Amino acid sequence: MTWGYLGEGYTLRSWLTTHDHKRIAVLYMVAITAFFFLGGAAAALMRMELATPAGDLVSANTYNKLFTIHGVVMVWFFLIPSIPSVLGNFLVPLMIGARDMAFPRLNLASWYIYVLGGLFTAAALIAGGVDTGWTFYTPYSTRFSDTNVVLVIVGVFIVGFSSILTGLNIIVTVHKLRAPGLTWFRLPLFIWANYATSLILLLATPVLAMTLTLVALERLFNVGIFDPALGGDPLLFQHLFWFYSHPAVYIMVLPAMGVASEIIPCFARRTVFGYRFMAYAILGIASIGFLVWGHHMFVSGQSMYAGMVFSMLSFLVAIPSAIKVFNWTATLYKGSIYFSAPMLYALGFVGLFTIGGMTGLILASLALDVHLTDTYFVIAHFHYIMVGGSVMAYLGAIHFWWPKISGRMYPETMGRIAALTIFFGFNLTFFPQYLLGWLGMPRRYHEYPPEFQVLNLFSSAGAAVLAIGYLLPLAYLGWSLFYGKRAPANPWQATGLEWQTGSPPPQHNFDAEPVVTRGPYAYDPVR
Amino acid sequence: MTYVLTWVGLMILLALTCASSYFPMGNWNSVVNIGISCAKGLLIAVFFMHLRHAGALLRIVAIAGLLWLGILFGLSWSDFGTRTLSPAPWVAR
Amino acid sequence: MPTTPFDSTLERREADLLGIWAFLVTEVLFFGPLFFGYVHGRLTHPEAFTAGSHHMHVVLGTLNTAILMTSSLTMALGVAAARGGRKSLRTWLVLTALLGLAFLGIKASEYWMESSEVAQASGAELTFYFLYFAMTGLHAVHLTIGIGIVAWLWRHASRYGAAYHSPVEVTGIYWHFVDVVWVFLYPMFYLLQRYSA
Repeated sequence: MTWGYLGEGYTLRSWLTTHDHKRIAVLYMVAITAFFFLGGAAAALMRMELATPAGDLVSANTYNKLFTIHGVVMVWFFLIPSIPSVLGNFLVPLMIGARDMAFPRLNLASWYIYVLGGLFTAAALIAGGVDTGWTFYTPYSTRFSDTNVVLVIVGVFIVGFSSILTGLNIIVTVHKLRAPGLTWFRLPLFIWANYATSLILLLATPVLAMTLTLVALERLFNVGIFDPALGGDPLLFQHLFWFYSHPAVYIMVLPAMGVASEIIPCFARRTVFGYRFMAYAILGIASIGFLVWGHHMFVSGQSMYAGMVFSMLSFLVAIPSAIKVFNWTATLYKGSIYFSAPMLYALGFVGLFTIGGMTGLILASLALDVHLTDTYFVIAHFHYIMVGGSVMAYLGAIHFWWPKISGRMYPETMGRIAALTIFFGFNLTFFPQYLLGWLGMPRRYHEYPPEFQVLNLFSSAGAAVLAIGYLLPLAYLGWSLFYGKRAPANPWQATGLEWQTGSPPPQHNFDAEPVVTRGPYAYDPVR
Repeated sequence: MTYVLTWVGLMILLALTCASSYFPMGNWNSVVNIGISCAKGLLIAVFFMHLRHAGALLRIVAIAGLLWLGILFGLSWSDFGTRTLSPAPWVAR
Repeated sequence: MPTTPFDSTLERREADLLGIWAFLVTEVLFFGPLFFGYVHGRLTHPEAFTAGSHHMHVVLGTLNTAILMTSSLTMALGVAAARGGRKSLRTWLVLTALLGLAFLGIKASEYWMESSEVAQASGAELTFYFLYFAMTGLHAVHLTIGIGIVAWLWRHASRYGAAYHSPVEVTGIYWHFVDVVWVFLYPMFYLLQRYSA
């Protein structure tokens, strides 16, 4: 067994000048892991503060900076690139039978752009942080905040182009480099998911880039677009910001759905239920997701009619998501289920995403949202989807494809222990937050009335468990790189072209160009 | 050649749009100007950018950006267009 | 030695074209918020915007529009020359770049003349000027990048012929896009109620 693409050069230079999509994926993996723990550290400090009602660990201003950096880092430097830039980059060419992405040099450039954006954001952190929240609402961000707003905006602006280039590459690759016989409806759902995600990346991210630029310009030159005193309108900012940021959450969840659709059929040994509906649902989520942004603005002063329109559209977007949940569940029916670590993550994803999604419907109801907006209910809702959903799917994916990426098997028992620890820790952290929000505890406060302490203590305890859960994979995956069992080409007996080549794959992916004659997920359940 | 003809068309439209702005037509001036800009854009896209000979995929891509901008404008209008503004006395006009 | 993932130049050209058009979609959405801000300002403060427009130099703006559209013609002719493997490619590229530079020169002189007026503006008229500088400025940045790429193509013009010319095509499409943006900016800033200027 050779070491495939990993063996093509051992110098740092060979990694930093590579055009190989697989190496670029690994570069991304290292970078986003670093940012994950940075964002996690901010969260840890926040939860430590919130263990007691008094604001005694950090000042209010520092707390504002903590939740800002937590949001900025986790959204833009971890979640958005996580599956597309790591697993998408690694797997898309392999899954479609191609030698590389359509634009390999652009791919490498996107990683350097990511790092540059990260450096600016880190610089903003070192220079004293930002306190506007990751949402940069005006006029606080344009006029009143005296923190390093422009610096962090530059960082986010830059990293946006990394996303755009990744999305561009995936779109062109999927259109133009599919192997012979690989028609659209024979593609794995992971490809559909990342393709739809890439459409969103292309259509939404530029709007964010310009919107943040306008915030910076208004801050520097006092121009008046968002300032009512000069004839502007703060809601202009909110419409523009959320036009990107709502689809952004679909950027974060669609790839996770794609991952679930790969793992669940494999470990249930059944083909996915309703493949075409799954593909159409992905496209439906991506498109309808662009029509709902005003549900972040129900109490902002936007017109009541707009509120009603956005509320109705937000209910609509739940439908394709629900179809997917039904179909994953139906895939399990009469399956031969094996609870591997990836399967535990995938099943956890389905359940937690469902809870998060249903609470989203609660928030989409205008009247209920008036009570719940800007409370911990909202925080619990989106963490159920982004952490209980996307992060778990990301970890499931890392474990599922670890043998392919690294050529090593991770220790299965440790994998399961970590998955269960994370699942338990996650629910302990975030379920109490639903209750806290319902009871009226507002978000973005470093102190709270004493009656909320018990639930907050549960939440902080959960955060500690969650932290251990996240550190475990860091440890045993790292260990496996040196001491893990050498992986065969197809350790899970999975379908999919990526499993038809070595673990790890050779640099050019396939020795002979594959020819595809049937659809994906051709599993036979063992009865 | 088609390119030169396209250029002639663009110049004529430029003259039209400039001249029309000197005729008082109220809001219709803007309508005419936007319409002429769209016509110019279409000429450039179809002839200079070869959309005339391009497949369905490229044409869909070409329209997608504008369509999405339309979503931004349209749904935002559901807010801006249905509000009644009550400007504060000190707001500059 | 990097191996291209494509099996043929035809495949590569198709990918390049899809790539540039997809990139232009991002550009449309990048300019989009500025157009959004303009429409908002125009609808809420029409007199201030009209007043701002009357300070613009309509003759120079119209001339610039003609110049830029002509540069689109020369660029299109350049792409046709590249496709046909003709030597005139270099000539068309030079003309395109020169027209682009002429545009920038006139723009710069306009900026010079307008900056003193802008300093005295306030309220929504100031917002008009801000949008003017931001949008035409962003456009000028894109045009400058385009000129740079055209110059680079000129230097390597001998590489392009009937068999392989997609960099020229791709640049052409980008150049025409920059032209289309200006076609919309021109009436927005120069032609508001000229009859009452």
